[in-house]
Amino acid sequence: MSDPQGRESNGRETVQAAPQGAAAAAFGTDVNVTGGELRQRARLERMHTRLLALSGGFCLIFGAVGVKLALATMLAPMAPAARQIAPQVPPIPKVEHGAALAGDIDIPTVHRATITDRNGQILAISLPLASVYANPQEMIDPAETVDRLASVLPKLNRAEMLARLQSKKQFVYLARGITPDQELRINDLGIPGIYFEPSEKRHYPLGRTATQVMGAVDIDDHGVAGVERAFDRRLTADRTPLRLSLDIRVQAVAREELQAALTNFKGIGACSIVMDVNTGEILAMVSLPDYDANEFGKADPNDRFNRCVTGMYEPGSTFKLQTAAMALQDNVVHVWDRFSSRPIHVGRFTISDMKTDHFAPWLSLPEVLAYSSNPASAHIALDVGAKRQREWLKMMGFLDRVPVELPEAGRPVVPGLSNWGQVAVMTIGFGHGVAESPLAIVRGTAATTNGGFLLKPTVLARPTPPDGLAPAAVQAVSDKIDDKAPDASVQPAIDDTASAAQTGNAGIGNPADAPGAERVISPQNAELLRRLLRLDVTKGTGKTSEVEGYLVGGKTGTAEKVGANGRYLKHLNIAAFTSVFPMNRPRYAVYVMIDSPVATKETHGWTTAAWVAAPVVRQIISRAAPMLGLFPKPPAEAAALDAALAIPLEPSIPSGTRSLGPGNDPGDPGEGASPKPGRARVADTAPRPHLDAKLRHEAAWIPGRTAADSSGAATR
Amino acid sequence: MSGYTRLDNSKLARWWWTVDRWTLACIFMLIGLGYVLMLAASPAVAARIGATRDMFIFKQVVFLAIAGSVVLATSLLSPRGVRNLAFIGTVLAIGATAMTLVHGIEIKGARRWIALPMMSVQPSEFLKPCFAVLTAWLLTRRVAGRALPGMIGAFAVYAVILLLLKSQPDIGMLSVITTVLLAQLFIDGLNLMLVGAGAGGMVAAFIGAYAAFPHVRSRVQRFLHPDKGDHYQIDTALQAFGNGGLTGRGPGEGRVKDLLPDAHADFVFAVAGEEFGFILCAIIICIFCFIVVRSLLKLIAEDDPFVIIAATGLVTGFGLQAFVNMGSTLHLIPTKGMTLPFISYGGSSAISVALTLGMLLALTRRRTRPVVRAGAAVYA
Repeated sequence: MSDPQGRESNGRETVQAAPQGAAAAAFGTDVNVTGGELRQRARLERMHTRLLALSGGFCLIFGAVGVKLALATMLAPMAPAARQIAPQVPPIPKVEHGAALAGDIDIPTVHRATITDRNGQILAISLPLASVYANPQEMIDPAETVDRLASVLPKLNRAEMLARLQSKKQFVYLARGITPDQELRINDLGIPGIYFEPSEKRHYPLGRTATQVMGAVDIDDHGVAGVERAFDRRLTADRTPLRLSLDIRVQAVAREELQAALTNFKGIGACSIVMDVNTGEILAMVSLPDYDANEFGKADPNDRFNRCVTGMYEPGSTFKLQTAAMALQDNVVHVWDRFSSRPIHVGRFTISDMKTDHFAPWLSLPEVLAYSSNPASAHIALDVGAKRQREWLKMMGFLDRVPVELPEAGRPVVPGLSNWGQVAVMTIGFGHGVAESPLAIVRGTAATTNGGFLLKPTVLARPTPPDGLAPAAVQAVSDKIDDKAPDASVQPAIDDTASAAQTGNAGIGNPADAPGAERVISPQNAELLRRLLRLDVTKGTGKTSEVEGYLVGGKTGTAEKVGANGRYLKHLNIAAFTSVFPMNRPRYAVYVMIDSPVATKETHGWTTAAWVAAPVVRQIISRAAPMLGLFPKPPAEAAALDAALAIPLEPSIPSGTRSLGPGNDPGDPGEGASPKPGRARVADTAPRPHLDAKLRHEAAWIPGRTAADSSGAATR
Repeated sequence: MSGYTRLDNSKLARWWWTVDRWTLACIFMLIGLGYVLMLAASPAVAARIGATRDMFIFKQVVFLAIAGSVVLATSLLSPRGVRNLAFIGTVLAIGATAMTLVHGIEIKGARRWIALPMMSVQPSEFLKPCFAVLTAWLLTRRVAGRALPGMIGAFAVYAVILLLLKSQPDIGMLSVITTVLLAQLFIDGLNLMLVGAGAGGMVAAFIGAYAAFPHVRSRVQRFLHPDKGDHYQIDTALQAFGNGGLTGRGPGEGRVKDLLPDAHADFVFAVAGEEFGFILCAIIICIFCFIVVRSLLKLIAEDDPFVIIAATGLVTGFGLQAFVNMGSTLHLIPTKGMTLPFISYGGSSAISVALTLGMLLALTRRRTRPVVRAGAAVYA
């Protein structure tokens, strides 16, 4: 205190109650103390006391504030709500060392779910990034800001940034998609008016693999193509990884083999599909040329094009399988019926086989498929007729887009009802005059081999335990398959899906249980078609696809391309091969298509499916099948299974049956429009019997009984 | 510091050697803290009301500069000059306060401000220090030791002020002026019974206000029942303190402050708590407490009743304002909109506080002690 002397003197006065003396000395004057002065002194005295009291009061209330402050800050603080103190800079995610599967990586700041293949391999993952933006109104020195930002972001366009920062706006983006490290460094610059907005970037660690299936997201993280678009809501609503049906190992193999073939044959494009015929799960879907999924924005539209679902190609001879299935299922033809292979002249068209093919004038149904005769297929289609052909294609899904989740799935190109005349019936019979997506062909192929169920193809993994994850499980599965082999060798009947379901093998789905499965072919006809497909590989055009011990079955398809003038181009083909393996118990469909291959020395000038596409299937199966837990059968066992699957090229006609053949070809345009009376019941006008009714009078053709017991079967 | 020797007899040199340099230092520390905290608190508020980020800051820079000059200029006055200034100030402020009822701008349901080109002025802010000094002068106008005529004059002026402030309404300002008046009467030596009666009257008036003004009732209700009703403001303020802890989040690192209504004005103390923590808040409390208690204790050595009562009134108003602001921000008392001297944003507030402290400094300057006779002559 600045003046202790005065206070002390006053205090003394209070105690002594003596006004003179010390007090007078303090004032430094000798005075006469009057009564008024005494009163004055007493009043001052009281004032001083009360001043002390007032000071004490203030000490008290400020002390109370101090205590409350200590309580509020340290002793009993009220915690702020999380939203109030949400950090501007997100925490850097910590990834366990050695983490490989999606489940091990949990990035709390990203919103879009990871996408994995069926085995948990990451296909798409969102990484935390930030956008940096500024409020130019808060900028102190835009030029300096640009300089300092450039020290962290060297690619910054300085002139443009300066223009943005000097604008009158309150919000300008400076950079998007900067890494957490850059974000921290910019934050450390401490530039006022700079803000961060958490964002995330979709990363596709496998680049080109399955790129068209994955699709892409736009800059605002909305799916714009492929799986990203199809499951956009699911991926943003639920952060658990989305498991696709793809097996990325199979995908990689298919891509590699297809790319090799595409390069070798200098084609303009190619595609390949591997599908589980019992569940509809797509294990691989390759479309070439492709692009790095991380560079979607820069990709050529031709590369983005998913040939498997968007591309529409004339299926060519692969469609003869459908024609055969249709004719069998409609009970119009039997396996022993024979069909003319002579060229058909309709108007200005001629339907013929290649001049190098020297077919017998009449071919049995197995021969038609194995040798792939166009006129014979046209005859079969004519026997079925336009109405039922159309109904069949409608039922098999060939007239609509394939019900797969991919948004790119396109509509097939098919003739309108008014154009579905006799010529259309014939050309569609051998796969021309319609354009189908490869996935539709694979779907149809699967239905002919899995016991007769049309499945909904899917890119999502079914909730069953995945194949090939636990080696023990794989071994158990293959053991059980092996167990069936002796049975097959003893019994003429080959495995069918019904017995597969009874054994309850894990890993092999029952197609009847697959969602959306629909029986379209009777089990007997499906079994017959399996034999026919196998026959095409053992004795027909598909020989080049055979892989020892895998019992591949398939159908070649070479379609001539249509040129700009609408005419078929004789030297530009679509070479395709649709196959299923192993035929004793079909598991996977493998499809390969190469667009416009150029012949090489090795193919002796050929660009047909047998030379171009079927060898690729062989490569894919031989490499990918072991990954899927399927191993080649030993030669003896394979031979036994093959024997059980065998079907003669020219099955004998059961006695008492009037087979189709020379002199009995109701649909032959050369024999006039009016069908023979004997075939009237299967004419176009006849109502198509309901499937269940058909199944009852199904021709029970079993190869073991072809020669001996055929009469019994026929008389039933 | 050593710019002036004690031999220098100029006005400035005499001022330098006689002014209370400790209090002066504290005042400029408060002004400095006012700058710092305005940088922290105002941008979020400016962004919310759509003003440019620096609007509050630039204005406050000007206000605080003016305030600093006002402190220095006023502190040069003699006690007589202070008295004259207060007399003129009271007349002007009462006139201006009366004008608010006619020409005032209405903000949040009260007419307290007069719009000027650069700023809006709240005249009642200036009333507070001027009236305190005027009261001191009136109370010391004694005739033969009888205080009555001066006291009657003081009460007459108070009655006018009461009427004006009740009409605005500005119950907060009214209660501060009333409390200051009571404190002055208390120091003047009023019978403790009467002081008690005055305090009782204030309590009765508060109860009356509780009954008469819905906003007063709701605030008291919310204070008494913290678990009911809307406590957004006070909860956010306490969360800001909680977020700050001992050392605070650091300059510019506050987050809760962005959500705090009136962060730049009534709740600036919470911003200080969040960014600079307990330590700086405790320092602020200590500065206020130091100014108040030091000034009061210094007055004990003072023999001029006018100086004592005037200075007491000034310092009480100053300390009370700081207490009410910090207390309501910390939920120690019901919410009462009152600025934290020099630290809250506001021109009227800063300049009226500057006037208060300037007059305080002027009155507490060490003077050559008058001889008793000469002193007696002053009171004659």
